[in-house]
Amino acid sequence: MVLSFSTIAARRYGYGLKPGEQPAPDIDALMLQVERGTKAKPRFPQEGIMGRRETLARLVSVRAVEAKAAKDGRPNPDLRRETQRDADRLLAGDARARIVQAVSSENGFYERLASFWLDHFSVSARKSYVMRMMVPLYEAEALRPHLSGAFSDLLRAAILHPAMLIYLDQNRSLGPQSPAAAKRGGGLNENLGRELLELHTMGVGSGYSQADVQAAALILTGLAVDNRTFEVAYRPQRAEPGAQTLLGKTYGARGRSADDHLEMLADLAARPETARYICSKLVRHFVADSPPEDVVNAMVAAWAESGGNLSAVYRAMLEQKRSFADEPGKVIPPFDYVVSGLRAFGLDADDMEALLKGSDQPEQTEAMAMGMASGMAMPAKKKPIQAGATGTKLTVLALRRMGQPVWLPPSPAGFPDASDAWLSASQLTERIGWARLAARTLGSTLQPVDFLTAALGDAASDNTRRVISQAPSKVHGLTMVLVSPEFNRR
Amino acid sequence: MVKPDSLLLSRRGFLASACCAAALPVLTPVSFAAMPGDNRFITIILRGAMDGLDLVQPYADPVFRSLRPTLALTAEDGLLDLDGFFGLHPAAAPLMPLWQAKELSFVHATSTPYRDERSHFDGQDILETGSTDDKALRTGWLNRALALIPRSASRKAIDINTSMELILSGPNEADVWSTQSDFALAADELRFLQRLYTGDAGFEKALAEAVQTDLAADGIYNGGKRGAAIADMAKLTGGLLRADYRVASFSLNGWDTHVNQKSQFRQMARDLSTAIIGLKESLGPQAWATTVVVAMTEFGRTARQNGTGGTDHGTGGVAILAGGGVAGGRVLGQWPGLSEDQLFENRDLMPTSDLRELAAAMLYRQFDITPTNLTAKVFPGLSFDKSSVYLRA
Repeated sequence: MVLSFSTIAARRYGYGLKPGEQPAPDIDALMLQVERGTKAKPRFPQEGIMGRRETLARLVSVRAVEAKAAKDGRPNPDLRRETQRDADRLLAGDARARIVQAVSSENGFYERLASFWLDHFSVSARKSYVMRMMVPLYEAEALRPHLSGAFSDLLRAAILHPAMLIYLDQNRSLGPQSPAAAKRGGGLNENLGRELLELHTMGVGSGYSQADVQAAALILTGLAVDNRTFEVAYRPQRAEPGAQTLLGKTYGARGRSADDHLEMLADLAARPETARYICSKLVRHFVADSPPEDVVNAMVAAWAESGGNLSAVYRAMLEQKRSFADEPGKVIPPFDYVVSGLRAFGLDADDMEALLKGSDQPEQTEAMAMGMASGMAMPAKKKPIQAGATGTKLTVLALRRMGQPVWLPPSPAGFPDASDAWLSASQLTERIGWARLAARTLGSTLQPVDFLTAALGDAASDNTRRVISQAPSKVHGLTMVLVSPEFNRR
Repeated sequence: MVKPDSLLLSRRGFLASACCAAALPVLTPVSFAAMPGDNRFITIILRGAMDGLDLVQPYADPVFRSLRPTLALTAEDGLLDLDGFFGLHPAAAPLMPLWQAKELSFVHATSTPYRDERSHFDGQDILETGSTDDKALRTGWLNRALALIPRSASRKAIDINTSMELILSGPNEADVWSTQSDFALAADELRFLQRLYTGDAGFEKALAEAVQTDLAADGIYNGGKRGAAIADMAKLTGGLLRADYRVASFSLNGWDTHVNQKSQFRQMARDLSTAIIGLKESLGPQAWATTVVVAMTEFGRTARQNGTGGTDHGTGGVAILAGGGVAGGRVLGQWPGLSEDQLFENRDLMPTSDLRELAAAMLYRQFDITPTNLTAKVFPGLSFDKSSVYLRA
């Protein structure tokens, strides 16, 4: 079975085929998706970037006032609870919007890259009240606009965003010999310094030492996040005085300044270990768990030649034969499964909104979420989508059950990427449950064999085609398309 | 499009009868518009092609045993004699009290007009649209029937399913009750998944492990839990029909018994019995007395059993009639015989009646829909009038 370029492009470098959407016919078309996606405004944060900053400032301010009143013996638990609910609701709404974004975007390769970098520069909304609202903002303003340009720009934007500084405790880190430490205690936190080397740039075991980790952490001291405006600034009184040596280079020899950490980031971005680590990670994510050396080498060469331009690196990856080889591939993670499943039903943004309408009620427990709807079949092609709890069950709740809740990675290392991480008895059970619900809710006018073609193009095996055509009911036929090995691998 | 009025439901009726966990109070009550002694009508769609020859076995037919050496049963195996010619599968024993009380009948050698292709998808579509062979028809016969019921209070219909099924889809208003719990996979569905994963070791292993370790928290693989879920659903349906609804439909999957039919059919027959008994119990004697249940399937199965202990897709099969509104205790239909020249295409039980005539007769009897409307609008292409055999008391 030889798959066409378009099928592989849509599935391996996008979120799958979608009826009515033309899949990319060649590499240029895929790269155009990256270009267009970079310029497009994402659907989250819901109020937009400026609006979210205002919301954040307002809610934090309300909380601060309440906290002070509480300290003075006049607490207002209702108000406090309400601000918590507001934050949770905003996060839930943005999470839904992220799914709608991926389902409705025509720039699949760009969306996949956004997810890749979100995972690479992982932060978690679980960290704190503020982070509930800040993480979607982080993805929208730090990552998405920079993922097609220079890696050094992306690195700087990600590391210096308040979300990252809060997540990895840089906002609490003080140079042990700094004036601030002397005055009020506290000291160094190595979290960001370590992850910067281990996860974000060079990669674990690439030749840095514990001394380097500490040096990085010390160079980062001084960075502070204002806890009202969330502006990031360099505050000299928090910085560790004196020069630091990281990987053989000295920083701050003529006195400490904000230039130190900026220089460090630029140097790390330029290191060959970084190029190799990032390129390997890209290949491991998109192509195969054991990244083929020739593909990585070509990308590293493109990195060097372009001065670390990520678009050049992506193109180099796509140009390798192995990148389009038709071999049984990696199992797709839950986000990709749900998104590509919804796309296969041809849902556009309006359909998704209709499906999710009414989902912004306070999160109901499963026992209470009940769907009761009047179903009216139109003689025309499109059926009205039923709103309510089903929308939540098919989106954010499903991702939670499958172990990949939006913006809630288990650690700074992000979600597991290895193929077998997402193929287990419980995962398969969840996917079958999801597929049945989706088939029943969204598939009432579809014929299973047509749906197979819409979802998989020429990627369906003869066995799969035969089994589905013989299914004992249409619902089960549609279900089996979604849980077929071909749909779950790329 | 969601119509707010139609969402309002009286919960008191079936809450009082302590319905299942699946039904939780959410909506506001509405006053009863209908009379307690009203007629009710329920369709059960048996998806997967139910083997009528296994459920209602023609044990006295001279050829039967030779066609089905291991599937044909005797009195010793527990086959329950019905009328000296046919016997009921032992797993359906819970239905015998209904048979004896004349609240249960079977129609044998019946089918829709669908012929030859034996596709589940097309067969079920035709079963639900009530057409002769028209794939363009996209509304359900039961939906079309609603507008023709003279008494408006009798038109309230509900589909107990995650979303509206074809049989109740159409221009007339019908509601959907989305059950909270997901049913366990039916045996045939599970078998199909196993076939789907042949050749992918990772998926084969994951499925096998899931079934084995019985991830039954959701009951997705657990047959026992499936029975309980079916009982719950029947209880829920009965409750809704005691309240405002007069027409209801739901489906039972799992009938596609290509392999190892003996054990799979036993489970299915048990589930069907559970569903019908559950309806009777939750409707209560007064409502049950004027209720008709029709259980139908897209087509029957081959007269001969195959090489894997099962049967393949056929044509003629069995429909089940239950309820106090039924003239029960009979196996209806004209038995064509099972010899080679009597079979359809030397393979299937020959259908000697149109299944739609049975449905039309029941709609006529329960709701006074005129024969003209039944043949023109509900079942296009059907001939039906008051002389129908199904109307004789």
